[in-house]
Amino acid sequence: MRAGFLLKAVIHNIKHRLGTFIISVLAVAVAFTFLSAVGAVSFGIASTAVNTSLRYPLVVGPAGSSDTQLVMSSIFNIDKPSGTLDYSVYEELLRDPRVTAAYPMARSDSYRGVPIIGVNSNFIKDLKTSFYAEEGGFNKNDPLPHNDLHTAIVGYKFAERYGIGIGDTFVGSHGHVGDSHAHTHDYFEYRVAAILEPVNGPEDYSIFTHYKAVWAVHEDHDCEHGHEHGHGHGHGHGHEHGHGHGHGHGHEHGHEHGHGHGHGHGHEHGHGHRHEHGHNHETLTAVLVRTVNPVATSQLEGEYSAKPGSTAADVGRTVRRLVEYMSKAEQAAGFFSYGTLFIVLMMVFVTVLMSVSERKKEMALMRTLGIGRGAISLTVMIETMLITFSGILTGLAAGHLILYFAKPFIDMRLGINIEPFLFTAVELQGVVITLIAGQILALIAMFRIYNMNLIEEVSRD
Amino acid sequence: MDINVSEVSKSFKTRSGKVLEVLKGLNIEVPSGSILKLEGASGSGKTTLMNILSGLIMPDEGKIEIGDIDISTLSEVEKDRFRAENIGYIFQTFNLLSPFSVIENVYAPAAFSGKLKKDHKEKAMEILNQVGLKGFEKSMPYHLSVGQRQRVAVARVLFSENRIILADEPTASLDKISSKSVFDSLMKCREFGATIIFASHDEVFREISPDRTVSLDEGGAQ
Repeated sequence: MRAGFLLKAVIHNIKHRLGTFIISVLAVAVAFTFLSAVGAVSFGIASTAVNTSLRYPLVVGPAGSSDTQLVMSSIFNIDKPSGTLDYSVYEELLRDPRVTAAYPMARSDSYRGVPIIGVNSNFIKDLKTSFYAEEGGFNKNDPLPHNDLHTAIVGYKFAERYGIGIGDTFVGSHGHVGDSHAHTHDYFEYRVAAILEPVNGPEDYSIFTHYKAVWAVHEDHDCEHGHEHGHGHGHGHGHEHGHGHGHGHGHEHGHEHGHGHGHGHGHEHGHGHRHEHGHNHETLTAVLVRTVNPVATSQLEGEYSAKPGSTAADVGRTVRRLVEYMSKAEQAAGFFSYGTLFIVLMMVFVTVLMSVSERKKEMALMRTLGIGRGAISLTVMIETMLITFSGILTGLAAGHLILYFAKPFIDMRLGINIEPFLFTAVELQGVVITLIAGQILALIAMFRIYNMNLIEEVSRD
Repeated sequence: MDINVSEVSKSFKTRSGKVLEVLKGLNIEVPSGSILKLEGASGSGKTTLMNILSGLIMPDEGKIEIGDIDISTLSEVEKDRFRAENIGYIFQTFNLLSPFSVIENVYAPAAFSGKLKKDHKEKAMEILNQVGLKGFEKSMPYHLSVGQRQRVAVARVLFSENRIILADEPTASLDKISSKSVFDSLMKCREFGATIIFASHDEVFREISPDRTVSLDEGGAQ
């Protein structure tokens, strides 16, 4: 009954000052929404970075790429590849005894903003995940057959988001996410042969084809544009769109498509080689490499960085640097979150103080009726607790719901796998700090009651 | 409960810094169950004495014994408990707690101190009936007239069966009919042997023959 009376007094007071109560709750909620986002994204960055760097310790890419750009584009699928690498680099790496696995990667096009990544069957098998595949025609041991270049395997979350099913077909857009000059390759259709089960990595939002499909698309692409625009100008569309596939092809047709893309090797190596093999598009954007040990990783990094036309990045070191950089941003976000929380707590304090001031007379009357300071203090503490607790719950719910709805975007655009309903340590810390600080502030407000002149208050009209 | 006030003095500092001596060496003995009327001009110390008796303020000098308890020796918590158990205070205005209904106001002190009995609602209803507030039990204080609010305050005292009732101008802001109603309600407290100390300029209180009248003019009992 006593608790019921206390609660009733609190609820009455809240009703009486509902506007202030709601504003205080919302302020706490906003702070916690922010805290939830910071916590989840930080956690996602760290776990995604660690998982992916463990899988491929070394990335070899075209000369001129920075380590960060190379890792971001080839591991996280975020940045654009900065050029192309000769296919022979991949072959050379395969022969190297220090290399236990190497996977070619060719990127150029995208579909619905998601990169179409040319890899091979070994890369897909190395993901060590199952497939949802079409019956009969799909060979799990050779998921991306080199003799069926129209085969595509899509990431689970991408398929789910866009309602893509097995057997569906699509065409790629020439260019990467964000390119303003993108156009579609209507002449080359991909068929979804399988959907990967979730791997909780950037692969969930990717489309995989055979790397030769990427070459084939751009062979046709350049032909088409060659015909359409084959006016003998000194540059072609490949150049206009800034992509690396199509070296030498233009030359074959009397045009110069693809030359001078800034990749540095086209003029030197391109033509003779291409004509010899008849594959004028045999370039990659990166090679993902697994080595026998960290020493080999370090050696290979040095060697391929020194070679003309290529560079290499130690994924672990690059990711660590990225995480360190991000953790500074995270720290800044954390400071901002706690700063917001501090301001909000001050606001709660003012609210409680106002509430106490308004109820001074009533509290004094309660004292004259023999209702103790403890009971009166409890009403203030319960009120503060209700403000902070409601704010925390609202904020956490809003934060996690926002994360839930933003997850596809964060996954796809930032390559960060977040767990929207994971309660992070940052949030726990925030909850504890807020509840404790709220009660301390309530106690400070209560000193006003302890020092209250009862008689003056009761007799005040 | 006998009340023994001995050599009680109390002074206040005004805003201008002047010391105002309200009570000076006051001695009063009030036997249990009796009625004491306090007289005196405004500012003579009637309210101050009631506040001292209820433990809300302490005298500068002297001793207050209620029963065998010297209230100046009690801690704040003990004073709260002492008030809840023994003192029923009716002010001129503002006697009710706005969050609670009429019936809840009646048993609020017992509820807050965790001493409600099973039949508390029936008892409160009966008392509200006695003071003429039947049908108002679920009303909120702001639904009532001033006279009705004062009767709720009296009903609270009747419910708690406080041994000492302090009534400080309880009918000052009421019309004659309401004053009579409050007075009649207050007199019901005699049924359980309460000691009543009141201060009132209202004619309706002339009906009562106090056991003792104390004039506080000039700062002490005369």
